[in-house]
Formats: sequence, structure tokens, C-alpha cells
Amino acid sequence: MNYDVIVIGSGPGGYVAAIRAAQLGMKTALVERYNSLGGTCLNVGCIPSKAMLDSSEHYHNAAHSFKEHGIELSNLKVNLKQMVKRKGDVVKQTVEGIQFLMKKNKIDVFYGHGSFQSNSKVNITLNEGGEKSLEFKNAIIATGSKPASLPFIKIDKKRIITSTEALELKEVPKHMIVIGGGVIGMELGSVYARLGSKVSIVEYMDSIIPTMDRTMGKELQRALRKHDMDFYLSHKVTAVEAKGKEVTVKAENPKGEEVEWKGDYCLVSVGRKPYTEGLGLENTSVKTDDKGRVIVDEHLKTGADNIYAIGDVIKGAMLAHKAEEEGIYVAETLAGQKPHINYLLIPGVVYTWPEVASVGYTEEELKDKKIAYNKGSFPFKASGRARASMDLDGQVKVLADKETDEILGVHIIGPRAADMIAEAVVAMEYRASAEDIARMSHAHPTFTEALKEACLAASGNRALHI
Amino acid sequence: MSLDIKVPAVGESITEVTIYKWLKQDGEFVEMDEPLAELESDKATFELNAETSGKLIHKASEGDTLSVGDLICSIDDSASNGKSNTSDKKEETAKEDKTESSKKTSGQTKTGKIIEMKVPSVGESISEVTIATWTKKSGDIVVLDEVIAEIESDKATFELTAEGQGILEIVAESGTTLGIGDLICRIEELEGDLEGSDEVPHAPEETGSSTTRHDISSYATGHASPAAAKILAEKGISAKEVKGTGVDGRITKEDALKAVKKEEKPTAPADKKQEVPATPKGERDEKREKMTQLRKTISRRLVAVKNETAMLTTFNEVDMKPVMDIRSRYKESFKDKYEVNLGFMSFFVKAVCVALQDWPAVNAKIDGEEIVYHQYCDISIAVSTPRGLVVPVIRNAEQMSFDEIEKEIIRLATRARDNKLSIDEMQGGTFTITNGGVFGSMMSTPIINAPQSGILGMHNIVERPIAINGEVVIRPMMYVALSYDHRIIDGRESVSFLVRIKQLLEDPTRLLLGV
Repeated sequence: MNYDVIVIGSGPGGYVAAIRAAQLGMKTALVERYNSLGGTCLNVGCIPSKAMLDSSEHYHNAAHSFKEHGIELSNLKVNLKQMVKRKGDVVKQTVEGIQFLMKKNKIDVFYGHGSFQSNSKVNITLNEGGEKSLEFKNAIIATGSKPASLPFIKIDKKRIITSTEALELKEVPKHMIVIGGGVIGMELGSVYARLGSKVSIVEYMDSIIPTMDRTMGKELQRALRKHDMDFYLSHKVTAVEAKGKEVTVKAENPKGEEVEWKGDYCLVSVGRKPYTEGLGLENTSVKTDDKGRVIVDEHLKTGADNIYAIGDVIKGAMLAHKAEEEGIYVAETLAGQKPHINYLLIPGVVYTWPEVASVGYTEEELKDKKIAYNKGSFPFKASGRARASMDLDGQVKVLADKETDEILGVHIIGPRAADMIAEAVVAMEYRASAEDIARMSHAHPTFTEALKEACLAASGNRALHI
Repeated sequence: MSLDIKVPAVGESITEVTIYKWLKQDGEFVEMDEPLAELESDKATFELNAETSGKLIHKASEGDTLSVGDLICSIDDSASNGKSNTSDKKEETAKEDKTESSKKTSGQTKTGKIIEMKVPSVGESISEVTIATWTKKSGDIVVLDEVIAEIESDKATFELTAEGQGILEIVAESGTTLGIGDLICRIEELEGDLEGSDEVPHAPEETGSSTTRHDISSYATGHASPAAAKILAEKGISAKEVKGTGVDGRITKEDALKAVKKEEKPTAPADKKQEVPATPKGERDEKREKMTQLRKTISRRLVAVKNETAMLTTFNEVDMKPVMDIRSRYKESFKDKYEVNLGFMSFFVKAVCVALQDWPAVNAKIDGEEIVYHQYCDISIAVSTPRGLVVPVIRNAEQMSFDEIEKEIIRLATRARDNKLSIDEMQGGTFTITNGGVFGSMMSTPIINAPQSGILGMHNIVERPIAINGEVVIRPMMYVALSYDHRIIDGRESVSFLVRIKQLLEDPTRLLLGV
């Protein structure tokens, strides 16, 4: 069987690339190792975690803020089994949605482990048994990533777990120790903190979500402290041990002293590593680097002229929407079009509550590059809409070029930040100035007005409502 | 003296704030505008900034609640250590000042030394040069080795680079012809760290060229929207060529869809920019173009050669089949071994070197009243470049192997096309080979490359019938021409030289054996 394009991996990068390729008239095949489409994102990442985050947020609100709203409850409790079941339903429906899209676009799907035999042939060991060999003009590697660990940590998937297991727990932990205060650690830590667990976040750097603008990490920490989350920053974990139902985590604090925590679960969320095991790359001209990432040029082409790679398996932010953009980029490039990705304008989001979202340069990056800027911020405490919904944590911070007022970065922590950031992305793609946004009408009362006010502050130091 | 810092009025209804966190410690030295602490009110959290530089003295602690107007801290600026916040200042002045010289000279000092730049000696027979263009103007700051002008001689054009750093003063304007050693310009030396004067701010700046029409331009003028950028890229049109009708001149999707490559429609409506003059309306128009310095020089030299030498041309023809057979037989293995193609030139160069040794007068030149017989073969190869004809030299070709000759030709031709040949590379040849065959020439009379005495012209290889052993056969034939200076080469020598070339090429084994 000969295909114009074969995509290996059906995550957001892979399935989007396949759909776009099919839209452009290419005969497309999709190979997926597991029996479920959608990759990490749909099955054990973005979608299930958002389901759990929403469910746990509802519970938390019921337990803590409903009374203020005038809603009285008795007998409030967590039914984790049902919560996990609902999450499973959300995942199943989403996966079925992708299956439908594959049929609609006439993409041939093969469930099995794909392995390259050469630069033009891939062999699939089918899950249902048997082998299938496919020939291709072009291939796209979209095999994604898996949770990483530290060399001395043995993940037993029972007490010492990764994000995958954290989405399938059978009981609400009494004390969950989270190693790694990045996006995944913060999101899953939040889920269980809201459900009543004591959560300890142990982070090596001096801030949580350290890759984002510093203000965001600081504010998120402040907001989450209210949820009974404890933060241990600049701590270096030295040992993790599980004995029976107890887990002990040892670390070195900034003073060099050894400290220890005991809990019933330990979530290891120190990052993710690219996954290319069994892919047969040694039979192709594709090369990987010392971190296991597939090496690509600026057109996402690998060492083989007809094989491309996208998403978590190559360098760059490990975000589903980055993989999607790259999937479309490769499909369009194969069709002879000339698309372009502006990596600076891919937003980063953390789905805690308050949500964190940002696009463009951080303040630290602007200082490093010696770019002169003006800063404008607006706290949600001063937003009428936020007051109405009792979401007072957080702020919008806008960074604008000191001379031209062009928006260089937008950082939001607060309600609906993940949705609000889209306005900032549009503005920056059009190279709008802060004043441009400030002069656009924003509906009242909305959370987005905070962006408008922050732009007023950045461009003319003339916010109205603060 | 100490500056007291009190809780500022932060909002109408706010009467008190809490010190959430001190960012600078008690006793720490702080700079002006640095954040000292985070204060919380019931509306917001904000930073308290230092109003001056100096030693910070806390007057309240973390967690304290203060009213508006209460003393928070003070800054003792008597102990200011004088180093003002240079990095902030640099950010502010870096882009405000458009005239670079005033920005830079304010920080640099004159050493008092004036560097005089004179015309360097650029080649044996060159006695004068012309200043073609100045890339800098008087008053500009230049740095060491920066290109400041283009100088033309009759052999080549080369770049003049600054011999020091400082303020340029032009002495010879463009178009002036100077002798070797004449003064070109002066540089008033400045010491200090000069950055290249082509520094660009991070965002392309439009200095608001407000026209009489109502369109305004800004930094975003000419920026293509995502869809527009893709469409233009696929059309092969640069965004620079498109006039944007979006806000402040941004390029919209519509602009991109309508954009057409300039050359496409000669009958396009009048508002499209037309740089290439279309077919002239009438047939009686003239087109005048000023001769470049290089062209003027070349014309002068060509005429001089014809006047100063007794130049004539003798012809012969060569059956190229033996050479072509060798080429087709060994093409692959030659390429594999040497990573360069086996061309015709290496055969010709080798044949010429052997023939020159047999007929040394052809490899000689007249110098005053003496004849100089070169004991080596520096073969000049004529190369056509967009700027005109250049003739780089293969040194000691008599000692080079076929692959060395081919590689050297490629090296020189590439440098010629990239306009990187130096004067040295084009001087001192003893004999020239030119190939008009690449353009289709059957036969021609090449002009001698002074001060040499002979030039071999190669021509187009054409299959035609010839008689061999009483039979008509079709062979790939090339006419060869030798133009020579009859003052030192007589008929017997020139004809025999050419016959020898023919002999060597028609039986290449002779090249192997040296007979």
C-alpha cells in the first residue's frame, strides 16, 4: 500500500496533520500505537486533566464559596469514582469525535506499533495481530512524549506515580507530595488540594512555573496557598521511597539541611521526555539529539528529505497547540504552500484556578535583551465582573515597547485567562499597540476589560478603574 | 541627607495598606526607581519604588498595616556611590537619539591624530585609480576595517576600508581619478568603543513620514497579517513591494490577494509601479547611459593593445574526438576521485604549457628594450562575469595535474563571479586562453592581453564532415585561433605553436609521454 503521507502518532499534532493533509488532497494514513486515538492530550493529558480540574473546582466552590452565594448544602462529599468515570466519558466522547473526523476525511487508521524499515517504508505490528507494511512518499513523526523522572526515583505507578496515574486514583490522597512545580505539578496538585488533600509542592527552582514571567509564579503561589498547598522552593529532592501505604520524600533545602515529608502518594512531574522507542529510526536518515528529540531544520524536516517531525518529539514548548500548528505547517508545506509559524506568539497556559496564560516576551526576557518597555497592570480585585463572581485573585500585565507602544508581552493570571489570552495573540499577530487595544470597545461587565485597563496603564499610565 | 518615604495615596477610598514583603533589606543600597517593597491594599498589590538612590532604612516591618501618609522607610543618599543606573539610561537614550554621531561622540574623545589615507599600490602596471562610489559621507563615524568606498582600476574594482576609527573627511570625491600615493580621505581619530554605525533598533522604525494624504505610517507599516504573509510568500512577492491598505499601512489579506509581481503585466493599469521601461512608444527614441569607469578603462586598454602591438591571428582546426572519448570514458572515475568534473580546459591548459615550452617566444613579453622569456607558465583564463570580463591567472600551470587545473579554474571562476578576485590574482599571466565557444562562436580573432604576447582562442565544437584516410567521416571539430604579437613572434613560431596544440589534443597520449 502506498500513501502520500503517513503520520505516526494520533495526538493533537498527528491527527491535525492528517486531517490537513487529507483536506489538501493527499492520500493519508495514520498509525496509532494504542487502541485509542488522540495521544497524550486526549487520553492522559489536556482533556482528562481539564475534566478533573473542572469537577474539583465545582466541589471546592460548593465547599467554600457556595455559602456566601446563598446556597446551603449539607452532606457534601466527594465521589471520586464518579468524577473519574465522568472524566473517562469525556475522554471517550472526544476520542470518538476524532474517529469520526478520520472517517470523514477518508484517512486510513492503523492501530499498532509503527516502525520505519527505510526512508520509504514503515512496518506496523497490528494490535489485533499480524503485520502490515506501508510505503510512503512522505512521513510525519508525531510520537509525542512520556513523563520523565529523576534517575533515583522508581515510579511504581501505585504510590509513586506520574500524571497518567494521577488521573485514575481510587481515593483522595491524604497527603500528596508533588515533585516538580511546573504546569503539570500545579494543575494536578490543585485538583487534589481542592478535593481536600494536603498537597506539598517541592520545586528545584526558586519559583513555581519558572519558565513563565516571574509575576505569574508569585501570584499563583499566593493564590494557591489558600487551598492548603504548601510550597517548598529551591529544594533538591534526594530520595523517594514507598513502603506499603506510605511514601517518604527526602530533599535538601536551600540551607543544605535534609528535610523529609511523609505522604500517601508522590506525584513525579519533573517534565516529559520525547518518545521514539521502537520507531526504527536507525533504519532511516532521521537523527535524534542527546535529549532524545528528533532533530529537524527550520522547516521541520529531519535528516531524511521526506520525513518530518512535529510536536513533543522535537524541540520547543510541549504544548498541544504548538503541535497542531506544526502539523498544519508540515501538511501545507508538503502541498507546496508556504506557511509560517511565529513561535513567539504561541500562548502558554496553566489550567489551575486562577488560570495563568501568557504570550510574547516575559519581563525578564525584555530586561535580558535590553529592550526598553513600559508596564501596565490591572488587578482583578478592581474588576466588577470578578467581584460579582468572587474571582478576585490575579492581574493582567501588559508589556509594551517604550517608544512605539507595540505590545511585546501579555501575562494574565485570573479567571478565564486561557480564553482571554486569545485577544492578546490576535493583537500581537497584527502588531497592535497597547493604545490600540485600549481604544477598542470591550463588553461590560467582562473579565476582558482587565486587559483593556492594563493596556491603558501601559500606554498612557491612565487606567480608569484603579 | 535622608529622604523619608511615606505611604502614597493609592486610590480614593483607600486609607490603609499592609507591607506584604520587603524586597530590599534594611541597610541595603538601593538605586532610584528600584522596587523596595510590595504593599497590599484591599484593591490591589503594588510596588513601592525608591525615589532616590542610597542606603535603605526600614521604618516598618512586614505585616504592619500603615495609613496613607505614614512613614514606611527612608533612604540615606549621602552614601550614594555615584554609579548611576547606566543600564536604564542606556535603554532610554539608545533609541531616542536618531543622529548617531552625536550619541557616540558624546562618549568618545578625539585623540588629536589625523589618519591620512592614500591610494595604495594596487598592481604592477596600474598607475591610477578612480573613486567609483563613497559608501560613507564626510562627518560619518567609521570604524577600523569598515568599507568606506569603492575604487576602480583598469583591472578591477576593490573596496577601500577604513584604516582607523573616527570621523571621516572625504578629500577626493567620487569620479575623481587619482595617482598611486594621492590623498583619498582623512579620518579624525576617536578613541573608545565605537559600535558599528549600522545599529538597528529591535523593531523596524518608521519615522512617521506623514504625507499630504491621510495615511499615517508607524512601526507596523508594511506588516503583513498572517494570511497575507502566506499568500505573498506563495506568490513570491516580497511584503516590501506591497502597499498595505490596513491600519497604519498594514498589509491585509485583500492586499495580498490583489498583489501582482511587478514584471507580470506590461499593460497593467497606470497605478502599478513600473520600474522597467516598457517598449518605447516611438522607434526614434534614444537611450543614454553613462559609461562606467571600468568600461572606460577597458576601452582604453583594448585600443592601446591594437596600436602598440603588431597583432595578427593564425588559425587551425582540432578534431576533438580523442579528448571527448577520454572524457566520456573517465568522467565518472575522475569525478569520484577528485570531486570535480573533467572539463576541456584542463586538456587545453596542459597542451598549451607543453607547446609554450617548445616555442618560448609565445611565452615572452617585451619590457622596454628587452624580451623577457618566462621560465614558467602562468596561464590567464578569461572569465565572463556580470560586471564584465576578468582574467584570473593559474600560477605554474606547467606543474599542475588535470584535477588541480580543474579545481583551480572553478575556484577562480567562483571568486570572479562573486567579485572577490584580488589584483594579485589577475596579474602576471604569461599567456591567455579564452573560450568563445561557450557563447557559440565558430571562429574569432581574440585580442592580446597586454603585456603578454599571445592568446589562444577556443571555439564551438561542431560536428562536420572531414576527410581521414581518403574517407569522409563526421568528427566534432573546433577551430582554434592564436592572436600574437609579431614584434617578437614570427610566422613560423606562431603557426608551429598552434600545430603543436592541435597535435597534442588530437593525440592526448603525447601529453602523457611528453613527446
